[in-house]
Amino acid sequence: MSWKAIDRNQAVVDADAPPLLSEGVREKILSYTHRYETKRAALLPALHLVQNTLGHVSWQAMVEIAALLDIQPSDVFDTLTFYTHFWTHPKGEKVITVCRSLSCEVLGGAAVLDALKARLGIEEHGTSSDGQYSLVTEECLAGCDHAPCMLINEKLHKNVKLDDLERILADGDNDRVDMPRSDLFDAPPVAESKQPASATEDDSRTTDD
Amino acid sequence: MAKIIIDNQELECREGMPVLRAALEAGWDIPHYCYHPGLSVAASCRLCLMEMKMPHPKTREMDWAPKLFPACQTPVRDGLEVRFNSDVVKTAQESCMEFFLLNHPLDCPVCDQAGECCLQDYSYKFGRAESRMVDPKVVNPKKDIGPHTLLYTDRCVTCTRCVRFTREIAGTGELCLVQRGSKNEIDVFPGRPLDNPMQGNVVDICPVGCLLDKDFLFKRRVWELTGTSSICPGCATGCSIRVDHADNRVYRLKPRYNPKVNDWWMCDEGRFGFKYTQDNARIIKPMLRRGREETSPSWREIPDIVRFRFQDHVRASSADKVVAVLSPFMATEEAWLLIRFIREVAPEAALAMGPVPVEGEPQAFPCAPPGAPSMPDVKFTILEEKCPNRRGIEQLLEVSGGTVLTFEAFSEQAAKGDFTAAWIVGGYPKPWVEKDTAKLGSKFGLLVVQDLFENKLTEAAAIVLPACAWVERDGSFVNAKGLAQPFERAISPPDGAMRDGQYLFEIAGFEGLYSGQRVRELMAEATASLTEVYEAPPIPAHAH
Repeated sequence: MSWKAIDRNQAVVDADAPPLLSEGVREKILSYTHRYETKRAALLPALHLVQNTLGHVSWQAMVEIAALLDIQPSDVFDTLTFYTHFWTHPKGEKVITVCRSLSCEVLGGAAVLDALKARLGIEEHGTSSDGQYSLVTEECLAGCDHAPCMLINEKLHKNVKLDDLERILADGDNDRVDMPRSDLFDAPPVAESKQPASATEDDSRTTDD
Repeated sequence: MAKIIIDNQELECREGMPVLRAALEAGWDIPHYCYHPGLSVAASCRLCLMEMKMPHPKTREMDWAPKLFPACQTPVRDGLEVRFNSDVVKTAQESCMEFFLLNHPLDCPVCDQAGECCLQDYSYKFGRAESRMVDPKVVNPKKDIGPHTLLYTDRCVTCTRCVRFTREIAGTGELCLVQRGSKNEIDVFPGRPLDNPMQGNVVDICPVGCLLDKDFLFKRRVWELTGTSSICPGCATGCSIRVDHADNRVYRLKPRYNPKVNDWWMCDEGRFGFKYTQDNARIIKPMLRRGREETSPSWREIPDIVRFRFQDHVRASSADKVVAVLSPFMATEEAWLLIRFIREVAPEAALAMGPVPVEGEPQAFPCAPPGAPSMPDVKFTILEEKCPNRRGIEQLLEVSGGTVLTFEAFSEQAAKGDFTAAWIVGGYPKPWVEKDTAKLGSKFGLLVVQDLFENKLTEAAAIVLPACAWVERDGSFVNAKGLAQPFERAISPPDGAMRDGQYLFEIAGFEGLYSGQRVRELMAEATASLTEVYEAPPIPAHAH
């Protein structure tokens, strides 16, 4: 063909490659499916789990998730790329997200971003050579009253000053969030816990009769 | 039925249907991209926004609501009053069109869709003349998303019709919408290209030039094409189609809405299955063979030659030694003319059904996901019977009476030498003469073969008549469900050939020009039941 076109006929996943998701991850994904009416509804928790386990959701992981949830790999690709939270390529151990919205911008957010770029030697969406940090920007981190702010993984750093950057980066606990997870995060599958409940209901009905 | 008011005009329509569809069917030209009556409602393009009367929250009086509503997502209910002709709606349409054209490359001169593009039409009717965009346009790469289809991302308006088609009608779900906001793009999962037996429809439903058919790419400007209503001969489903042709050449086939058969869709096998009509190996001249001597008589002589040869033959042997083998690719009218001729020269002649090509299993759509049982709601079926008119020929054979044979019975009896004269009709797009059939060629004293391509039978025939492809003929086909549908002639036969219907008309003793309608009128005198045909209602061009 006389023009440039991305060739989507080329496979990016080796069909003979060994499975990427461990047995434990697979079981956990399948256990999520009992929470919802349809299997495909478990896609988002599955994506979170895979990203938390592997660091990113690769093409092969997408295919394997699709097979587990009886959906097409394109459905996984579709949902995954909608959220900037999910990574399709390897990221550093910690992701620094700098706000680029108005409040942070006027209070020195751009300077923080530039300092980070210089300190880590990377551009946006890059990963530092030691694999420690990846750097991205986001529209708003909902911390305008503490601008400029930035996230390290899920931990929000408020009123970031250029002088503080070195101390924050050196702190090993700079991404620790002292916030409880939802009870559902590690909840047992609903189907298992439901059955005894319904059995007792049935029992009570028979005794009433 | 519900009564609604659109632009101060009262309208009666079915309760529950989208207001947009009711308006489109009643003749309103409402701009829309994402709405398609065959797909679920997405309400994402915001072009069909309308004003609607609602009870005022304080006074409870009906008044125009301050916000706009998508007409595609608002169901019709009795007493509803909406309007499209207000300034607010017009401004909204104008703004939407400006938004859709922000990054549009304006490459209409090299775009295949130009001429049937909703961006062009709506820009002209509802948009503004120039863009206020000052920033450079976003340029996206083109994508080769499958063996038949190209995706020009920067022409896309992300209406997601194609995505919904692959999910809801084809059931294969190859297409998806990746990224979000201004980075939204249609895509496939790499290595899982758009390759299902129904994929060509995504090009039809794409309202802009984003999805393009590689087969038709850069072949012809669409305004040079003439569309002729026809029926697809690819399988016994009998989809209503439009044959787009120019300069006596077929360029593409498009599905035509038919609520009784195919709705808005057709399969790729039918869509790309017209190539044999352009094959240079086709027989284009009648041929007469006496011993080793081959002559090509003029069409004017053919009726007399054929008639005399058959009459001579019946006089020399007997009438019950004559057989006509009808092809399931013949139109009902042509078969009727042939039967009429054969039964006239040899009243006891046998009639046989030609071989019915069967390939694989019927395919129902949407296809079920792997591991799941078949889908309960079948929206489209590709049948295993790869011919258009088995039912029509069978019905004709039934009413014709006399000796009627299956193809197997005919082959068996012919091999034994029970017949001395035969008229065998082929017209199959694929080679159809099997080894056993080829041997029959030498069993007849007089053999007339009417076929598209040369084969062992035409080599043995005393008279060879060229058959024409269905785009060069007119008549009617009866589909697998027994629905008789007429098809029109799109192009002329190749130079030298004559339409089957015309020479059969003359051979059967009629004068003048053949037309399916005329023969149906003649047939009505004998068998009225076979002459009723169903024509799908036309839908307005703006209801795409």
